[in-house]
Amino acid sequence: MVTVLLDSSNTNLSVGIARDNLLLESISYEAWQRQSEYMIPELNKLMEKYDVKKEEIGEVIVAKGPGSYTGVRIAITIAKTIAVALNTKLYAVSSLRAQKDGACPSICLINARSGRSYIGVYENKETILEDQIMKNEDVMAYIAAHPDYSVCGDTKYLGIEGKEPNNIKEMLDLKDSLESINPLSLKPVYMKD
Amino acid sequence: MEKVFVSNSAEETMNLGKKLAKVAPSGSVFCFTGDLGAGKTTLVRGIAQALNIKSVVQSPTFNIMKIYFDGERPLIHIDAYRLADVNTDIGLDEYIGYETGITVIEWPDFIKELIPSNAITINIINLGENQRRITINSDDSSLLEGLN
Repeated sequence: MVTVLLDSSNTNLSVGIARDNLLLESISYEAWQRQSEYMIPELNKLMEKYDVKKEEIGEVIVAKGPGSYTGVRIAITIAKTIAVALNTKLYAVSSLRAQKDGACPSICLINARSGRSYIGVYENKETILEDQIMKNEDVMAYIAAHPDYSVCGDTKYLGIEGKEPNNIKEMLDLKDSLESINPLSLKPVYMKD
Repeated sequence: MEKVFVSNSAEETMNLGKKLAKVAPSGSVFCFTGDLGAGKTTLVRGIAQALNIKSVVQSPTFNIMKIYFDGERPLIHIDAYRLADVNTDIGLDEYIGYETGITVIEWPDFIKELIPSNAITINIINLGENQRRITINSDDSSLLEGLN
């Protein structure tokens, strides 16, 4: 059984495929505003490379936000379409949680612009701080108060170096802790509403 | 600070646009005001040309935003006209002032809450025939001096 993994919740484009819960390959690169153009071709390339037939796809795991307004909608739209068209299972993961650094306590960050960040703090399968939007000065204070935590994500906007996420692998690892979701009820998480 | 230019032709307006692109640091936001036909789009075309964008630039009145990637820097062109009196929380804040690009906004008054305080405002007034008065306001005096 093949799992398709999709994340375009920030400026990144990440696509992965797994067979029997073993990640075959994932690709991830910066593709601001081009995620909608590249996501399907990248998925096709991986499917051809590993000789995956679409009938073999049994589940889709998607990052549901928070993140870029358009970005989160791209992966979710594609994931829902696959899930409905091929009648597969669908799982949705927090985009922040997908950035965590394995089992380390992780402060996961995405730029929310206007001096704010999306932040979620995770350790292993536990949630230490629920996903929320936070002023950057409060984020910096949180980081300073937790020097032993790993800072994850593209945090150059904060003037600090964050750990590059291994989001596709994290999403696959998190699957066991998730309930599958009806594709028609999945909505993007956008905390600025 | 304010600087006033008088343009006597579309070509002169284009040339001013080219100069604007040359002096504007990445992340700059321009707000263009002026009546229909004043020459806002002509000015944007000048900016696009200076960035070596080959695509034809037209105001995105229907699609609200167009991004040109085929130049030296991305040009983000927003026409907020259709956003009058509607919910403007459609993610435009992720584009306006994008770090590596140049943003141009027509009808900025319809998305006032999204305009950064350091935006460069440009007003074009039709003086008749082909003559236009172009007033540029910016906090950045070196940018205005660069236009000489």
